[in-house]
Amino acid sequence: MRQLLALTGYDVLQRLRDKSFFIFAIGVPIALMTVFNFVFSATDDIEIKPATVAVSVPAGDEMARVLVAAVRSLDDADEITVSVEEVDEPTAREYVDEGEVGLALLVPEGFGSAARSGEAVTVEALRGDAAGLETDIVLAVVDGVLDQMAAGAVTAQAGLAEGIAPAELRALVERATQGGTPYGIVAGEASDEQLDSGPALVAGQTGLFMMFTVSFGVSGLLVERQMGTLARLRSMPVPRWMLVLSKALVSLVLGVVATAVLLTVGGFLFDADFGSLPAVAALVLCACTAGTSVMFLIVRLVRTAELAGVATSIVALVLGIAGGAFFPISSAGSLTWLLDLNPVAAMLRGLGITAGGGGLADIGVPVAIMLGFALVMVVASRLVPDRGALA
Amino acid sequence: MQTGTGHDDRRDVLVVESLVRRFGDLTAVDGVSFRIHAGETYGLLGPNGAGKTTTISMVAGLIAADEGTVTVAGEPMTPRALEPKKHLGLVPQELAIYPDLTGRENLVLFGRLHGLRGAELKARVDEVLDLIGLADRAKDRAKEYSGGMKRRLNIGIGLLNRPTLLILDEPTVGVDPQSRNAILESVEALAGEGMAVLYTTHYMEEAERLCDRIVIIDSGRLRAEGTRDELIRLTGGVDTIRLAGSGDLAGAAEELRAVTGVERVVADRRSATLTLRDAPALVAQVVGVAASRGVTLSDVEITRPDLESVFLHLTGKELRD
Repeated sequence: MRQLLALTGYDVLQRLRDKSFFIFAIGVPIALMTVFNFVFSATDDIEIKPATVAVSVPAGDEMARVLVAAVRSLDDADEITVSVEEVDEPTAREYVDEGEVGLALLVPEGFGSAARSGEAVTVEALRGDAAGLETDIVLAVVDGVLDQMAAGAVTAQAGLAEGIAPAELRALVERATQGGTPYGIVAGEASDEQLDSGPALVAGQTGLFMMFTVSFGVSGLLVERQMGTLARLRSMPVPRWMLVLSKALVSLVLGVVATAVLLTVGGFLFDADFGSLPAVAALVLCACTAGTSVMFLIVRLVRTAELAGVATSIVALVLGIAGGAFFPISSAGSLTWLLDLNPVAAMLRGLGITAGGGGLADIGVPVAIMLGFALVMVVASRLVPDRGALA
Repeated sequence: MQTGTGHDDRRDVLVVESLVRRFGDLTAVDGVSFRIHAGETYGLLGPNGAGKTTTISMVAGLIAADEGTVTVAGEPMTPRALEPKKHLGLVPQELAIYPDLTGRENLVLFGRLHGLRGAELKARVDEVLDLIGLADRAKDRAKEYSGGMKRRLNIGIGLLNRPTLLILDEPTVGVDPQSRNAILESVEALAGEGMAVLYTTHYMEEAERLCDRIVIIDSGRLRAEGTRDELIRLTGGVDTIRLAGSGDLAGAAEELRAVTGVERVVADRRSATLTLRDAPALVAQVVGVAASRGVTLSDVEITRPDLESVFLHLTGKELRD
């Protein structure tokens, strides 16, 4: 045990001194995250401007008044300011053409009677050059109101056809036009395992660079082979397995530190909260264990640091990208399960659970996937003929 | 293999018997056997590619032998064996040190791997730092050392566990003459302390200076073993004196041939080459004979057989880099 601690401790010390850890495991990913932060924060700053809507309504049309009232009621919401100008149709068109309003709603003559009878009727919406997101919101509301009116008309027609009493029919129509539904949905505590775009980017980048960081171990072993220190170590009374295990521990330690730093800094940059600290810590530890386990396989396959660098880069990029390091990967088909077994994807899913309020008890599946991945890698490494660093 | 009579009955620290190692179709080491006893410096002399490093790799337990056995301090050596490695100190040809650790940290790390700790470790590290002359630079990182200092640290690490057998694999390759001399003096001192030293080199003068016994290896096979003098006797042990000058050297040939000890003279008017035993003892007499015949000598060159001659004699090849 003392030998293992000595090998691991002095190796970590060298990694810290030669600055490769700070550059590749901390500096590069943080720089990348910062760039992403600039890029994506610009798209996140969505501005909703005050909206002015010109409305042309037929005189004495009660149903049209309901529509206008619905648009005016938007002004009561905190997020949007809407002012409505009732004008005649030519003026409404003129306002749109001149850019004085972003939207004009032209309600045709006979709108009310058509709506009551369920006949087809069209409200013309004119979008001007000044139209923005606020215009879309107003249009969505208008669309919803028209749908409710249509639902009420259909209900009334059906009731009349069935001979329902007027009082009962009125109640049915009101219920239909108010859009009530006997079904409901209540948001639970645990999330749907999906992170928002910012936190997903942080977690994805962290997962990707975690895979690079844990490759320090295998590259370290092969560099020692080239330097000659491995020969010296093997001439000493130190078991061979201890040499590999010490490098794995170095990978694990550096991987955990780098991952924790990246999640913290990334969380700060993207204002992301990943939730329960013990659960996040467990996920980080399991992800780094899974990443480190790849080393056991690579170290038996390649004999030079250059080849190890290529192999670990391929593994890191494949697992990182497939795991959603840059964008979510959705898949379908019989090989979907392969993506689900990816430790980077499992870490992201786990962080989605913790960010949604989940704790240690809720992350069993991603933890099992990551530890299972590690187990498979270690077993596979025992089955592969040793042609690598210690051969 | 031709052998001398230099081996005595002292305890054998290293016993190598019939070692064979193949790499594909190439037999890098082919039936190598030798023994080294305590306090002896044993030289493995041969050109690059002769099989020296492969032999050492098997002796140090870095690679397995295809055939044959290695025993260190009575323990069989294999790549997985730990007990014989406790008695071993290896100084690889490469600088097997960690450049980002200080000299002291390098020694502490390898000391811990040898099981040293606490006050014993500190005392031994201080001792080795003094021995290799790096005590005042112990806190500097190894990458800041000169080439010679790195070489000394490389050797110092091999001494940490007070090994019964120290293996030095071409320790002076790429070293400046001053550092080289310091390293050779260190090796001489170590042998004086009773340590068995296995020293590989392709520098004939190093083998002659340091080694009590020398084995000549070529193409993976041992060609001869013995003390320097024993090996030289294998060549016949004949010296040469070459004379050059003005006058009739050819005319002096008969009188030169009559000098006791001179076996053969080949001469023309300007030069003469004498084959004889113990040239230093006879050179004055030879020069006197030439002068008495009116020859004015411009050059006298004595050539004695060395390990280069032995290698040439045994293999038909020159011992070169």
